[in-house]
Amino acid sequence: MRNVPIVIASVVALTAITTAATAKVSGPQAAQVMHQRHEGMESIGKAFKALRREFDSSSPFDPTVRSSAAQIAGLARKSSGWFPAGTGPEAGKTGAKPEIWKTPQDFAAKLSAFQKASLVFNAAAASGDINAAKARYADLGGTCKACHDKYRAEMHH
Amino acid sequence: MHNHHTDWHIWSGCAILTLLIFRLLWGVVGSSTARFTNFVRGPRAIGDYLRGRWTGIGHNPLGALSVIALFLALSVQVGLGLVAEDEDGLYTGPLYRLVSIDTSDKARDLHEFWFNVILGLVALHVVAIVFYRLRGKHLTKPMITGRAHLEPGMEPMRVGKWWIALICLATGIGITRWIIAGAPPFSS
Repeated sequence: MRNVPIVIASVVALTAITTAATAKVSGPQAAQVMHQRHEGMESIGKAFKALRREFDSSSPFDPTVRSSAAQIAGLARKSSGWFPAGTGPEAGKTGAKPEIWKTPQDFAAKLSAFQKASLVFNAAAASGDINAAKARYADLGGTCKACHDKYRAEMHH
Repeated sequence: MHNHHTDWHIWSGCAILTLLIFRLLWGVVGSSTARFTNFVRGPRAIGDYLRGRWTGIGHNPLGALSVIALFLALSVQVGLGLVAEDEDGLYTGPLYRLVSIDTSDKARDLHEFWFNVILGLVALHVVAIVFYRLRGKHLTKPMITGRAHLEPGMEPMRVGKWWIALICLATGIGITRWIIAGAPPFSS
């Protein structure tokens, strides 16, 4: 796989980003972050759903798979900045549980696992190997679920 | 839906689908009291029943409405679940590919809302059973045992064949399995 070095470099860079401490925010800044987070998560969800439909069809359409995978990887990178302290339920309507800031190390590890999986999946999608992409897609979904089971609350909007 | 038991949720939905198919078939070829043609009546029969002019066994003409309401409400719920997907896109009903992402999302919201309709019908059902019981009429016992007190002149139940019941159940399981597989060839 020719993308391996890129993936490794990105993973190293990401780990550094994720573990960096994020300062507490409040007021309009918190609201802005929460809005970005919501929109971002929704876009990830939409891309993820579109991918499932592609993979489950008899002939997955390569360009769609590639662009959705790249979109998820891009948003996953941004997600490092989506959970500063002060953007929990105390700041407004959100699906983010307070546990995120009670067990920050575990949360950071799960977010990082998601980001890594998004890069690995993006590389597999870019390679054009549909079977590899499918397998990495399932891995990616596992990282979504691992985090959501613990840190995401139902949000009616 | 973040109750962490989504697998159970989907499997119980499939079990209900199997039961619905069984009940539909049994309502055509089953025991006499189970057949829709024998217990689903019009408004006049319901009026007669309310004025105490109905004799018979099985579902009374008013209770028939409850049977139909529960059957339809559960069918709607299962139908919505089959094409729904969860908000995060991690779980899907077996027929989600027959509809668009937007429709799947709408189906999920409606599936969530519709559960309240079912709860309402369940509550009504239980209240009715308690109401009859307080007035000295057992509704559940004849349903389970198949035995009821017959007044003179009342026609007894014609018991359905056990092997027909088995065929109905096998058909229900077969159709459910086909749907779990995505109802080929329609969604592949």
